[in-house]
Amino acid sequence: MTNVMDGAAGLQRRQLLALLGGTAAAGLMPCPAHAETRGGVLKLSAAANPSTLDPATGGSGFDHSFLWPIYDTLVEWEYETLKPKPGLAKWAFPDPRTMVLDINPGITFHDGTPLDAESVKFNLERNRTDPRSNVKADLTSIDTVEVTGPLQVTLKLKNPDFALPAIFSDRAGMIVSPTNIKALTGNASDRKPVGAGAWKFVSWADNERVVLARNDTYWRPGRPYLDGLEFAIIPELATGLRSVIAGQNDMAYALPPRLKPVIDRAKGLQVITAPTLYCIQFYFNSARPPLDNLKVRQAFNYALDREVFVKAALSGLGEVAYMTLPKSHWAFDKSLVGLYPHDPDKARKLLAEAGHKDGLEITCGCYTDQDWVQRAEIVQDQLGKVGIRLKVTRGTVAEISAQALGSEKKFDTLFSAWTGRPDPSMTYALGFDKGAYYNPGREADPLLVDLIRQSRESEDIAARAAVFAKLQRFVMENALSAPLAFQYELDALAAKVKGYTPDLLGKPKFENVSLG
Amino acid sequence: MLSATKRRIIGRRMLQTIPVIVLSTFIVFGLLKLVPGDIAVTLAGENATDQRIAEIRQMYGLDQPFLVQYGEWLWKAVQGDLSKSLLSGEAVLTSIARCFPNTLLIVVMGLSIALMVGIPLGIAAASRPGSWLDGLVMSIASLGVAIPNFWLAMLLVAFFALGLNWLPATGSVPFGEDPGGALRHALLPAIALASGGVAEVSRQLRSSLVEILSSQQVRTLHAKGLSPSNILWRHGLKNVSVNLLTVISLLANRMLAATVVVEAVFAIPGMGGLIVNAAINRDFPVVQGVVFAMVLVVVLINLTADVLYSVLDPRIS
Repeated sequence: MTNVMDGAAGLQRRQLLALLGGTAAAGLMPCPAHAETRGGVLKLSAAANPSTLDPATGGSGFDHSFLWPIYDTLVEWEYETLKPKPGLAKWAFPDPRTMVLDINPGITFHDGTPLDAESVKFNLERNRTDPRSNVKADLTSIDTVEVTGPLQVTLKLKNPDFALPAIFSDRAGMIVSPTNIKALTGNASDRKPVGAGAWKFVSWADNERVVLARNDTYWRPGRPYLDGLEFAIIPELATGLRSVIAGQNDMAYALPPRLKPVIDRAKGLQVITAPTLYCIQFYFNSARPPLDNLKVRQAFNYALDREVFVKAALSGLGEVAYMTLPKSHWAFDKSLVGLYPHDPDKARKLLAEAGHKDGLEITCGCYTDQDWVQRAEIVQDQLGKVGIRLKVTRGTVAEISAQALGSEKKFDTLFSAWTGRPDPSMTYALGFDKGAYYNPGREADPLLVDLIRQSRESEDIAARAAVFAKLQRFVMENALSAPLAFQYELDALAAKVKGYTPDLLGKPKFENVSLG
Repeated sequence: MLSATKRRIIGRRMLQTIPVIVLSTFIVFGLLKLVPGDIAVTLAGENATDQRIAEIRQMYGLDQPFLVQYGEWLWKAVQGDLSKSLLSGEAVLTSIARCFPNTLLIVVMGLSIALMVGIPLGIAAASRPGSWLDGLVMSIASLGVAIPNFWLAMLLVAFFALGLNWLPATGSVPFGEDPGGALRHALLPAIALASGGVAEVSRQLRSSLVEILSSQQVRTLHAKGLSPSNILWRHGLKNVSVNLLTVISLLANRMLAATVVVEAVFAIPGMGGLIVNAAINRDFPVVQGVVFAMVLVVVLINLTADVLYSVLDPRIS
């Protein structure tokens, strides 16, 4: 078995690289250089059916690995750091309230429609205004979108927003064919995707298979290496892994840590482990009792034993979350480490001060799969020891998340994960800003709102990191959530899979993959 | 040509099917409505307003009273329209047409294996009741009943697919495209399904045969000088065939239900996976469609058994 990167050795290597290069996310090492072979179909075991294949309307963090191949994004990122780099377009900020996008020439969508300024404007307007768009919140800073040349779009901003390049590397920057969208009605675009990515859509049999084939007119010369991608939807993750061990599939990604020993025992597999932004956390509804009380929220945080959680729930394949960014991230603020040590006595004291001397019941939404059931049991036990009785309701991800975060607001807290965004300001804007969907209480302190705005006002990383330090401290001191742990990416690859590199976002891309 | 009696039996059974289908789909529909959760919330997606959720409820008729919703579904169903999946928009009939062949293949193979192994074992045990062979067969049968099929399925995968690499560990291949590949994919799931069936067939056959072979009629046949094998094949098995048929029909129905678990272990896109996903997501047209189809299959199996009873034993009418 080839350990491309694993366990303790990988961590040491990361630390060494961090020291040498000073990079923020040195943990992500590409596979060794290789001569790319053209051809072949990469067969993947995917854990979940896509929510949709329309980047504007989908809602699951697991969709990205289906979306990246079909849609190229305006902006891309470095795998190691998520630092934005040009994709379909280059960008510039002539002034803080203006962003100019210059689109690369000669790009066409899979249906032959040219990808030009008009099509980019169509996409941005659709993402901002369509009633079904799930990315409206990412684009609130845009005032107007103007076509200023055949391949140039100029955005006038309501306020400076230097997070836009990173935002355009995610769903909001995935460019769909306007011809296709205009030809479809209702929610038909969810299942008939046409983009300008390296692979084009062939078929989607629900909960069974998604098939993509090479885009022969792809704009990047020599790419892609693979003739196609075939995703077999196998929700039972151990079964998905078995399909790779048996040689039926070439790769299973987003595996839970409990399967690491199985991969280790298998012969001829590569194992990939790498840090990600996937943060297991409690979302708090801090606008109503009992979590409107700061002392209850803080007690909740003190009651959690994060070290034990990482060992018990993640088999050590993760790291403690002191905030919603991992240690390797450029905006991580180390002064927050140890803000909430595991301190049951302090938790009990805070609860007593909050008027809950005999403990209290907190309703919680969570999911039905094996890993989430185990995670919830662990935290129920930890919280129970200080008198917080977590009453868990389980259901599907879509249903429970909607009940917790939508207008129903069924639970006091949601025990779930934040799958991360390319720019940390997106995480804070979507999770903690006033009216944000992932902020179940919808309320936010004006200071917090201002800090989120400030975090986008500069292009300078050091200046932004300084704002994020204040922002994170505010969020954690006010215990607006309870981050627990970052789960590492765990993938199993057949020996013939070459060139796969994990990314800090933890949402696999296959653009560099070939089959040896 | 079927005789008038048999035609009458078929006609009567077909009529009995109607209340079974109506009742079963009504109960399932009711259960789906009782379970908490709302597909409109899922369909509306993130950031959905209450207005948007209400629009979706209206669009799919989810705001209608329970009986109206059921009545509309039933009315369409009797016209051959099983509606569309609320989640994927795919016609339910298309989903069933895609998934049912995968399920049917493993059930037919499983049943075949259960009979091919169970019948010889039952005969062997019955021909020497009380012997070590009888004890061995009955022990194997007990083990077959006791072992959960999902656990056996995992053992089979570990040994034959991952260890020896003889057979695929997951998935399925359409029989029409590659019959050999389809059979290879279906073999391990079929064995997992068949384990309980082997036990059941052999035990039932043994007890029925032992009873027949120890009857006065058989003693007379022995006295007349007929060979033991002649007695077993011409008189013993013929007399137990009705019992065996009952076991087979019950087994076929039970195997259809057991596919839910076995399909999950082998990642086979069959009817089990289809209904589980639909039930989890409250996609009621799909659940109703699958239940409708499965009830039809079960009724068809029972009907076939009823007709065969009268063929095997003319006294049954």
